[in-house]
Amino acid sequence: MGEQDQFDANTLAAIQQLLVDMEAMSFVAHRDSLAALPDIQRAGDDIALAWLQACKKMFEHDRDAGKVFIRGSAQAALACPGILPWVRQALRFTAWRGSWKAVSGFMEQLPAACTLMGEVGMLRWSDLGLDWCARHLESGAAYFNCPINTFAGVHGLAGIEEVVLPSVMLFEQRHLALGTYLTGAVRVRDLLGIEAVQAWAKRGADILQAGRLRGEAYFRLESEESMHSLLEHLPGFRLAEHHRLFQLILLAWFGETLEVLDSDWSPDKGRAFVETDGQALYLPRAMPEREEAMLSVLHSAGHLHFYSYERRNIEALFQAVGMKHPPLDSAQRITWRPLFAQFGEDMVRFQLIFDLCEDVRVDASLGRLIPNYLHRLRAATDASAAPTGAAGIYWQWAKRSLHWLEEGAGHNTEFEVLRPLLGGTTTIVDAFVAAKQIYGTAMLPPIALADRAWAYLPGRSPNAAQPVYPRVVLDEVEHKPEVNDVQARPDDSEQKEHTKTTTLPQHAAGEDPDMEIPPEKTAGSGGRVGVGIPQPAHVEGQGRSFEFSEKGHPYPEWDYRDKHYKRQWAWVQEKKLTESDATEAGRLSVQYAAVLKRLKRALSAQKPLRSAPKRRQFEGDELDLDACVTWSVERRTGMAPSANIYRQRRVQHRDTAVTLLADLSTSIMQISPEGGRVVDRIRAGMLLFAESMEAVGDAYCLAGFASKYRDNVSYYTIKGFDERLNAHTRAVLGGLSGRLATRMGAAIRHALTGFEDAPASRRLLLILSDGRPADYDDGGDERYLQEDTRMAVKEALDVGVHPFCITLDAAGSEYLPLIFGEGHYMVLAHLDDLPKKLPEIYLRLRR
Amino acid sequence: MKTLFNRLRGVERDIVQAPMEDDAAAPFYQAQHNEIAIFEAAWKKRLPVMLKGPTGCGKTRFLEYMAWRLKRPLVTVSCHEDLTSSDLIGRFLLEGDRTVWQDGPLTRAVKVGAICYLDEIVEARTDSTVIIHPLTDHRRQLPLEKKGQEIEAHEDFMLVISYNPGYQTVLKDLKPSTKQRFIGINFNYPNAEVERSIVRSEVPDLPEVLLNPLVAVGQRARTLKDHGLEEATSTRALVYAANMMAAGLNPVEACEVALINPITDDAELSEALLEIVRAHFS
Repeated sequence: MGEQDQFDANTLAAIQQLLVDMEAMSFVAHRDSLAALPDIQRAGDDIALAWLQACKKMFEHDRDAGKVFIRGSAQAALACPGILPWVRQALRFTAWRGSWKAVSGFMEQLPAACTLMGEVGMLRWSDLGLDWCARHLESGAAYFNCPINTFAGVHGLAGIEEVVLPSVMLFEQRHLALGTYLTGAVRVRDLLGIEAVQAWAKRGADILQAGRLRGEAYFRLESEESMHSLLEHLPGFRLAEHHRLFQLILLAWFGETLEVLDSDWSPDKGRAFVETDGQALYLPRAMPEREEAMLSVLHSAGHLHFYSYERRNIEALFQAVGMKHPPLDSAQRITWRPLFAQFGEDMVRFQLIFDLCEDVRVDASLGRLIPNYLHRLRAATDASAAPTGAAGIYWQWAKRSLHWLEEGAGHNTEFEVLRPLLGGTTTIVDAFVAAKQIYGTAMLPPIALADRAWAYLPGRSPNAAQPVYPRVVLDEVEHKPEVNDVQARPDDSEQKEHTKTTTLPQHAAGEDPDMEIPPEKTAGSGGRVGVGIPQPAHVEGQGRSFEFSEKGHPYPEWDYRDKHYKRQWAWVQEKKLTESDATEAGRLSVQYAAVLKRLKRALSAQKPLRSAPKRRQFEGDELDLDACVTWSVERRTGMAPSANIYRQRRVQHRDTAVTLLADLSTSIMQISPEGGRVVDRIRAGMLLFAESMEAVGDAYCLAGFASKYRDNVSYYTIKGFDERLNAHTRAVLGGLSGRLATRMGAAIRHALTGFEDAPASRRLLLILSDGRPADYDDGGDERYLQEDTRMAVKEALDVGVHPFCITLDAAGSEYLPLIFGEGHYMVLAHLDDLPKKLPEIYLRLRR
Repeated sequence: MKTLFNRLRGVERDIVQAPMEDDAAAPFYQAQHNEIAIFEAAWKKRLPVMLKGPTGCGKTRFLEYMAWRLKRPLVTVSCHEDLTSSDLIGRFLLEGDRTVWQDGPLTRAVKVGAICYLDEIVEARTDSTVIIHPLTDHRRQLPLEKKGQEIEAHEDFMLVISYNPGYQTVLKDLKPSTKQRFIGINFNYPNAEVERSIVRSEVPDLPEVLLNPLVAVGQRARTLKDHGLEEATSTRALVYAANMMAAGLNPVEACEVALINPITDDAELSEALLEIVRAHFS
């Protein structure tokens, strides 16, 4: 006992001595260690002594390091009751000069590290950091200064290790400091999961080798390419790769072709939602589950289909709030803010309740349309974890209401308020009324804007997160009686006018090679000049001696309103395409070489010399001499030979002439949602078509057209029937570009005249288009040029030319049957298919 | 009855067969509109008939049924692009040292008064479509050029052709002069109710709970025609799917193998169709 006391007394004396030493060294050090001492001493005097020795040692090594060590100790002792391990770790910092930054980070993160990972984890964490200090002190400091909670994330120690390990490789091979790498890596790990860090770092290492600045920007997630690769590697179901799938599914369920686009969502913006602007659906790049993505797309499309954004209903909605006409923004969209303004502070709460009610309404309608939809929604909800806090209350309520809905909406006092939303003729106004009722009760608490996103069930999303284009598709039958029809009607037609005009081709003036050419240069019938046909001697210069050639060839145009032809209405000028791009043509030939090779092989299989006689037939036009001789011989010998002694020379009637007429309007210059411009595929398609035709040997003609007003329809013959495919033709195809509008009827009529000298009896006019016939002067009346085109098609049939339309417009099946007739058109859903399909379609047609 | 059929199976039979009088042998056909009445009226006046419609919607079955109903033999010729007029009418064959004339199916039908059904007539060569002209107007004669003869058609002879207005046949459309000789009956895929009863009676052992979703899948899948699907899901395909289910296959798989895989190679389209299937059968 006495020995123990003696020991204690010695220890205490040593502590006192150390404190005195410290006081001599620094006032601050002495004061801070005195303050921290009681917390440390709780663990025992000998430990306190060891700690004080460490303090002194640290201080002697580096004053700053000593200070931060002493100051941090009290906190550390509370979190890590075993004091010696971290004291020992701290002492290791004395191996380096100027390590105080690292020590400061170490002491700051120490309590959290202990709490989070326990003593063992803390030791591993500090070991890793100390290794880094040994490598590169500044990186070590960056390591210890990284807040431990973010550093470890939800993965604990494994998260830290996973992030740090690739960095060692990066440092040793590429000399990348940890500070540059760490923040980005942590974010990548949080967004993409623990496995993704390695791949991300590897890619970064390559970029780093290509350029220091570029690589560092990549690791800091500051460059475009790092953000892009981040989005590319998002885990979960990647919606961006399935736009067509969604489009097909929406078409199947709703019978509408809805536009599906990428939204600007990125992982740091929080939860991923499918959004809509009233016209198109905007999908995030990825969502956690396929099922959730599917339900989200169906749900959002349901809002469009069941008129959440129908103009008349929105107006009624604003009336219900007591506000006038919803103000449209410059792009004719409605912003919903004014609707919620009256709720002031409580706006988020009301908005959420309103969304909930509208979602119930839409889901009920969807449930009637899509079998098992509610069941799936419920399954997805049950499978996902409920959020906490206020959002959780909304979530739970929505979940219960979904269960109620899914179970057939029996009597339930809690949800009776939602019953008016279940009928077939409900509108958003009903949802609004229900929302107001719920808002009046205290059932759902106020909620912060930041929590709002988590209040939605899987599949649901904030409605009208963006300003919306009001939809004008409601039939009169479906009007709510309380909506004032008479008043609403003029507005409606006005709106229609508006939407029509926006679909017109843009850039009516300027930006167009043809419009910039002075009128005298566009004159003359261009056409086949210079292909070996002797030109009349008197045609010189621009060939202006023909009076009509100034305006080109006149064609009648059908006016469906008067049911008669307008004579000499559309004027077609034949022109040569001036731009050519041999490089592009060469590139395309290389790109599609494999396809072409396959096509040619298929073609040569289809093109056996069928006119060669079939021998040993039972009947035919001529005798097969060999067979006859054999027959006679056998007969003489007394046998009864079979009588296959004829030769047949069956000519295969495959003489077909085809004109491929491409719509060269402005719209082909658009970037397609699948990536790349439409025009690139048209170039490739026409090129492959031409090459295949050369292989088949059928007569063919390539042409394009564009128009601006009725008196200015340009018809570009790229290759006539009597021309050969040569380098120049290929270059012209490579340089194809879009301009102006689509007056298809006139172009068809002009193309028909080209068939007069076509050397074949079967004549096919293949029209390649990407949209409706339209022109600047059709007054927004879609039907006018559509009807005219229909008549042109009829005229073509009358002169024995079969028109067939290949369109890239997904909505083509809405109007093409009317123009070309059932079975005389084809909608190419995949733009990328065009080059390959174009020759294929022709070959099937000519069979 | 079944034993009788089994005795007939695998046995060579002449193409001209009078239908069985027995009601039990009646082919099942569910009328979609008034096509039976139209056909009977045309039959009364012995006018030729043209059946138009997509593949698998019941044209051939309709005709089998009508032949049974009218108690006439049915001679079916599937036309292909090498089918010549002599394949229809007949040809001289050498036998030993003499020639023998052998009647073609059309001639046989004309002689015995059968219903001659030229399936997918547009596939045939033009010369063979022209020889039916004299048969299809008031003359009702079949000229046998090679024999220098003409046959007056039997009183009960009737000509029926079918054709499928799809895009592969744009250039092979029938001549207007041929078309206008026929009474045209349009066929399309039946509505859901009719289709249900068709599938039910074709596959009686299909559980009723699977019937409704199956037909709904078919109807829904047809909306995707023109979006990569050249041929829509046919009633025949639905019956196949029903058979696969009745044979114990899981419904989603049955639909996949009977409705989706045969008609498209497009991965996304398959997935969209599969999504429709799953929605109905989940």
